[in-house]
Amino acid sequence: MSAAVPAMPGSLLRMLGHRAAILLYVSFALFPLFWLIKIAVTPDRLLYSEGVRLWPSATTWANFDFVLLKSDFPAFFSNSMTVSFGTAIAVTLIASGAGYAFSRFHFGGKAAVVAIMLLTQMFPLVMLIAPIYRLMTPLGLTDSLAGLIIVYTAFNVPFATFLMQSFFDGIPKELEESAMIDGCTRFSALWRVIFPLTLPGMAATLGFVFTAAWSELLFALMLINSEEKMTFAVGLLTFVSKFSVDWGQMMAAAVLALIPACLFFAFIQRYLVQGLTAGAIKG
Amino acid sequence: MKRLLTGVSLAAMLLTGTAQAETTLQLVEVITSPQRTEVLEGMIAKFEEANPDVTVEVTSLPWGQAFEKLATMVQGGQIPDVVEMPDRWLSLYANNDQLVDLASYMEGWPDAGELNDRALQYGSYVADTMYMVPYGFYLRAMFWNKKLFAEAGLDGPPETMDDFMAASEAISALDGKSGYCLRGGSGGANGYVMMMANMMGHDDYFDANGNSSINSPEAIQGLQFLVDLYQKGYVPKDSVNWGFNEIVAGFYSGTCAMLDQDPDALIAIAERMDAEDFAVAPMPLGPAGKSFPTIGYAGWAMFAASEAKDEAAALIGHLSSRESNLEWAKFVGVIPIHQGAEQDPAFTGPQFEGWFTEMNDDRWKPTVMPTYLEEFAYFADVMAVQGGQELLLGERTAEDVANEWATYLGDAQKKWLAAQ
Amino acid sequence: MARSPIGGGATSPDVTVDARSPRGAEHRSPRLGVLLEPYYYLSPALILIALVMFVPLVVGLSYAFQNIAILNPFKTGFIGLANFETLLFKDKVFWRSLVNTVWWTTGSLGFQFFLGLGLALLLNRPFAGRRVVQAIVFLPWAVPTFLSGLTFAWLFNPVIGPFPHWMAALGMLSEPYNILGDPGLAMWGPIIANVWFGIPFFAITLLAALQAIPKELYEAAAIDGATAWQGFIKVTLPFLAPMIAITVLLRTIWISNFADLVVVMTGGGPANSTQILPSYIFTTAYKKLDFGYASAIATALLLLLFLYAAILIQMRKRLPDTT
Repeated sequence: MSAAVPAMPGSLLRMLGHRAAILLYVSFALFPLFWLIKIAVTPDRLLYSEGVRLWPSATTWANFDFVLLKSDFPAFFSNSMTVSFGTAIAVTLIASGAGYAFSRFHFGGKAAVVAIMLLTQMFPLVMLIAPIYRLMTPLGLTDSLAGLIIVYTAFNVPFATFLMQSFFDGIPKELEESAMIDGCTRFSALWRVIFPLTLPGMAATLGFVFTAAWSELLFALMLINSEEKMTFAVGLLTFVSKFSVDWGQMMAAAVLALIPACLFFAFIQRYLVQGLTAGAIKG
Repeated sequence: MKRLLTGVSLAAMLLTGTAQAETTLQLVEVITSPQRTEVLEGMIAKFEEANPDVTVEVTSLPWGQAFEKLATMVQGGQIPDVVEMPDRWLSLYANNDQLVDLASYMEGWPDAGELNDRALQYGSYVADTMYMVPYGFYLRAMFWNKKLFAEAGLDGPPETMDDFMAASEAISALDGKSGYCLRGGSGGANGYVMMMANMMGHDDYFDANGNSSINSPEAIQGLQFLVDLYQKGYVPKDSVNWGFNEIVAGFYSGTCAMLDQDPDALIAIAERMDAEDFAVAPMPLGPAGKSFPTIGYAGWAMFAASEAKDEAAALIGHLSSRESNLEWAKFVGVIPIHQGAEQDPAFTGPQFEGWFTEMNDDRWKPTVMPTYLEEFAYFADVMAVQGGQELLLGERTAEDVANEWATYLGDAQKKWLAAQ
Repeated sequence: MARSPIGGGATSPDVTVDARSPRGAEHRSPRLGVLLEPYYYLSPALILIALVMFVPLVVGLSYAFQNIAILNPFKTGFIGLANFETLLFKDKVFWRSLVNTVWWTTGSLGFQFFLGLGLALLLNRPFAGRRVVQAIVFLPWAVPTFLSGLTFAWLFNPVIGPFPHWMAALGMLSEPYNILGDPGLAMWGPIIANVWFGIPFFAITLLAALQAIPKELYEAAAIDGATAWQGFIKVTLPFLAPMIAITVLLRTIWISNFADLVVVMTGGGPANSTQILPSYIFTTAYKKLDFGYASAIATALLLLLFLYAAILIQMRKRLPDTT
């Protein structure tokens, strides 16, 4: 944080301290994931009998083999993809509209709408399951991926709106205003001028919401009954039977499911940072 | 609003119903594992062959969340035709008029006349009406680790409660081992009830007026027995939170030497331990020379909202036929429901000895917990666990906890008696 | 300049488009049209939230005043405030859960905030491999919480996990045992899992806010002889304040409502020592099937969070504007 100074022992020490701290954070972040992988490659018979080891004495691909080839996981996986992408896209579109409105307009009901969005974050979602189930049954939306997408979209719109508002704040209003002077409607100004600039922000929101939808368990469990429509989160629970838990298989499935989520999030996280920064600066 | 929704959903169901000449039955299984589902679907396939215009759709709920999922489905109007019904849920659904009396349908079934007394008795446990047909019985017996016992210098499984305490002490003296795999977490209610009944010497949980006996001095001794085991360190320290998976894992990993469980645990344990290293003995006898291992059951029931009751009844009849049931019982690890079926070689081998003794020797009386009380499920799932944990940790006295339980169950019993 | 996005938005001194502005010349829509314009953009969001969240919420909250027998709709009856009476005066588990929720929230929030801030500060300086490191340390946020709950439960289990042994070696425990079974320590299990999960949230948002701070300010402070610490207090913190305010508010609300980790790792036990309000609601609703009472607890939680947010927003308004 200080201005550039010539290299001195003090700053070498500081640099080492910095790197050491970074190393600690990286280890802390990775260790549980490493443990997950370890359980996924441990054969069942060794799981409890070997005690505490950093790596099992023998590893096996059998769990992955089972999950990929002999279980319903590929179907669960694709259901999760459908639901998560569907939700992410729907949320990004809707939240862009709302975020734009917050960013550009001063209007009477603004504080109220913001309060409403904040209020939705306080709802104990557990209480919504039964009423939502009853409301959706006559509409045929239970036991359907579409119904799940609708519910997830509603849950994620408020925070995504906050994100998109930040991203829009990072784009000067003058841009669309000068386009409107030149004869565009606001909407076409948005489309032609602003939209290309918000692509990083939208990617970030997409990634954030994708992750949230990918991880959700409770509503997926309650709203979906048929096995062919289950998401992977619910699918993982099927490894827990009354009599035993197939930990190895469960963790293998978990590792496979984590890969897209982690990759996607790793990819978009810097757009999140960038977009929020721009919003903070230009505001 | 409610009636409108019910009306709309009923209309929707009717409309889709009349459009098909075929019948589709929805069957929900709640104690689910991929292997069980496979066997179940095999049995159902035979039914579909014999009944070409009936299709059966199986929905498998993950066991850990099955209770709340089924309740959510039912309250939302998505009611299956046939459901796998554990004993503890029966009174809840039956007393809310959700289930059908199967007695009249049973006459059309192939082997209905050969159902054993237990099946008939427990199937009609609620309101003396056959709301379910059991598919088998779970009976507790004592698994014991032969190697650890030998190491501790003991020559056999404990025969009495005093032996039980002594054996636990001896084995806990070994480094890193404990005597008993205590189930302090979810599902622990059976353990408390068995110990209390053993010390009482009887299993009359209520007197004629509905007062509970589980706060009698002897019952409190039973609770105190388990507390002593815990506080003297004869059981692993974190067993206060152990559920099914942890106690079974504790047993087959050799951490604790004794485990009270049902025949279905045998399957999981036999996969992971060598046959010479463990055996199953009958539960220890109480001071009165008697023992009361808990017996539980699950089976098939039909929802009253079913649109295809005859077909659903036929499906249950098929699943409860002698042949199907024997196959199922052997696979799942329960005691079958037809007369003489337990003479099958699968049940008379040495590993089944403990259960065999319990069923045939008068000193052991399998006891059913009062599951006909609607409130019992909450008692078993929440109160027994929480109260038990407070008890084991020394936060409350056995007397205090027993009184709380006796009040809750006594009130429930009195309510039930009044409604008779 | 950093400012709070809540209720803020485009508060720049620029001309805003309204009916009186000459910029709207080419489409002289009637006043109503212009006034409604923001709502065109907002309507999909508002409609969706109203239908999927508010309507069910009102229905759900109405249960609090009824005696709901969920499996038998005909046994349901209106009982007024009876549930609340039981809640406030007879239910010691409720009060215990409330206290636990406070510990759970402050513990989780405190650690993940400060550790997240620390990480943001570390990432704010360029160094070789920063892109990769940044991607790695943010990964925990992408992991479903029930999975991380399970994994941490494994890690705390002395039979197969290393944590108890490390803690014993460090002298934190007298011998390796499972803290999840110890009523005094069990809460730390879910808290640690929550901290692991939540650090990226603060790291991302605070890093963004840090990067928005003009570097010249630090140089000016250095020229004036300020130490690094003074630079932090006088320059960094005031600029971070708005982002801190909103992220802390939001995360507190999220954590208070967050039952997954507790349910997966301890189930609320042993003996309700880790029972928090959201997990208590879940148990009451889905194990006891007492939706009426669960709804009463949920109402109480909602009111508390509402109060908390209101207080925080009032405090924020009263603080001098730092921009």
